[in-house]
Amino acid sequence: MFPAPIQDARPLGRFGYAAAVPIVLVIWLLPLLAIALTSIRSLEDLSRGNYWGWPDRIMAVHNYRAVFTSSPMGRYLLNSIMITVPAVVGTLALSSMAGYALAKFRFRGNLALFAIFIGGNFVPFQVLMIPVRDLMIHVVPLYDTIWALVVFHMAFQTGFCTLFMRNFMRELPDALAEAARLDGVSELRIFWHVVLPLVRPALAALAVLVFTFIWNDYFWALVLVQSDSARPVTAGLQALSGMWLASWQLMSAGALIAAAPSVLLFFLMQRHFVTGLTLGATKG
Amino acid sequence: MSDVQLSHIAKRFGDHAVIHDLDLHVAPGEFCVFVGPSGCGKSTLLRMIAGLEKISDGTLSIGGRDMTRVPPANRGIAMVFQSYALYPHMTVAENISFGLRMSDMPKAEIERRVARVADTLELTPLLKRRPSQLSGGQRQRVAIGRAMVREPVVFLFDEPLSNLDAALRLQTRVEILRLHRQLGATMIYVTHDQVEAMTMADKIVVLSAGRIEQVGTPLELYHRPDNLFVAGFLGSPRMNFLRATLVPDGEAVSVRLAGGGSLVFDLPGTPHGEATLGIRPEHLRLLRSGEKGAGLVLSATVDLAEHLGAETILHLTASDGTALLLRTEGLARETIGDAVQVLVVPEACHLFAPDGRTLLNGSQG
Ligand SMILES: Nc1ncnc2c1ncn2[C@@H]1O[C@H](COP(=O)(O)OP(=O)(O)OP(=O)(O)O)[C@@H](O)[C@H]1O
Ligand SMILES: [Mg+2]
Repeated sequence: MFPAPIQDARPLGRFGYAAAVPIVLVIWLLPLLAIALTSIRSLEDLSRGNYWGWPDRIMAVHNYRAVFTSSPMGRYLLNSIMITVPAVVGTLALSSMAGYALAKFRFRGNLALFAIFIGGNFVPFQVLMIPVRDLMIHVVPLYDTIWALVVFHMAFQTGFCTLFMRNFMRELPDALAEAARLDGVSELRIFWHVVLPLVRPALAALAVLVFTFIWNDYFWALVLVQSDSARPVTAGLQALSGMWLASWQLMSAGALIAAAPSVLLFFLMQRHFVTGLTLGATKG
Repeated sequence: MSDVQLSHIAKRFGDHAVIHDLDLHVAPGEFCVFVGPSGCGKSTLLRMIAGLEKISDGTLSIGGRDMTRVPPANRGIAMVFQSYALYPHMTVAENISFGLRMSDMPKAEIERRVARVADTLELTPLLKRRPSQLSGGQRQRVAIGRAMVREPVVFLFDEPLSNLDAALRLQTRVEILRLHRQLGATMIYVTHDQVEAMTMADKIVVLSAGRIEQVGTPLELYHRPDNLFVAGFLGSPRMNFLRATLVPDGEAVSVRLAGGGSLVFDLPGTPHGEATLGIRPEHLRLLRSGEKGAGLVLSATVDLAEHLGAETILHLTASDGTALLLRTEGLARETIGDAVQVLVVPEACHLFAPDGRTLLNGSQG
């Protein structure tokens, strides 16, 4: 087996491994730990410079409530959900259909189209800032609405997702769709009843990935919206920074709240990440 | 029961012609087997009949109706794939009924049909399982069940047994034949297994490079091959070929072997020149010491003796270096390095022209 399992290493190697794992883990998690601690400190505690010690008072309930009372955090969260959910659903719907067509249908220009999808992924998104903003203001009047972000994210994420789905679907045996075709099943139903159930792991993985991308987006939230009614939580965190004094404890609490949905989704989707779904389709 | 008629069928992938102007008639209820070397177009031809590949040229009719442009589902055919192509996320029952469920068929009728198919194929205890929980043979039966449930007039099989082990292959072969008798449907079956072709077929179609080499019953093809290709393709171990020169001799022709010796055949009006003499391994006879036979005697040495139990296959090298295969009784005592005398009887020989056409088929079966 390669690499050799660590259990088979010499004692010194095993010891080094056992020692290194916690160290790396702590370094890795330290920032997160700091934020979590900060989010339950009091402002005085912070102004005294106690960044790493135990908080003098646990202000968890107070701080987390303040996040919602001192800023339109509830609104921002709702906006984020209203942007992210439709964008993710739309992206997955479009990319799985486009991916299927590119993977399984022979038509002129298939490869060229696929190349464009790949190429699109290499366009740095900063380049798009001015044109997309202009487009949203002058051509499709969506500027400063939730739909501006939904439409943009959908368009932007579909490129990578199509590439991913196409490559995943290419591995499905042609004979599955052919067998259904011989039975007179329509292409749409083949897609729905045969193809989609078999790419569920890919869809779940993409769902988490794309959800996290869109949910965490800050750049486009600044470029495409400016009013509270459409602002997602990432851009909204600014509102917590405080008028005169930086309220680090509130910003930390807000950041953790903003990060929670992605983590939650990951655990919810985990049971779908099973591979080997096509097991038993063929000789095996 | 329906017949299948292919007229001037051709298939091109872009510029690459795979099937050339092919005519074939499969009679109603017939079991027709396509054989041929890998890449000769067997699967392509089958898929054209199924409607999975467009027909570039020519016409296809099934049961007298033109099906050239008819969508696969309306052709009255069902196909069993080499890879089985079972839907992994569905149970056996769902796999079998999927096509029917997607049509307007009433539920009760679907259940009745699935139950009947499961009963015929002994799948009833497995109906709730997923394909991944089945053995290879069981998967194969589910694949056949999925074809049967449509009650097609023509069954198409693309190497359905090639993924099974030898014992299961034999058993499934018998089962498919039983099914053929029971259903009376026309079946077209692709294989490159000789034994399957010989034992199952009413009619064998030998294909090579997208053309039909010969069509006939298994024994016709075995004993009266039309050409060198068919002679060499059917039969295992394969036919021995010896280079020879024809010298006309009145009403007869004398065949001089490159390695010395000659045989005389009644073959009026043959051109002289190069030719190939063919003889099957079972028609070569070992001459034990002192024995005499009517025919040509070749001396050879044994390279390898394969003792198969019921028979022994001797791999020989003739004195001129030609490799020969000889089939003899199971208890043959010859071993590697032995010098042997081999008798070639003219009645068992086939003679082929330089272009591969058969000039003469031996009369000894
Ligand atoms: N989609 C395709 N595009 C281009 N060429 C193809 C395509 N499908 C098959 N071919 C070519 O057609 C020829 C016949 O292929 P086919 O699959 O019919 O062979 P086969 O007789 O079934 O062989 P095997 O015994 O290996 O299954 C091959 O040369 C193959 O490369
Ligand atoms: Mg094939």
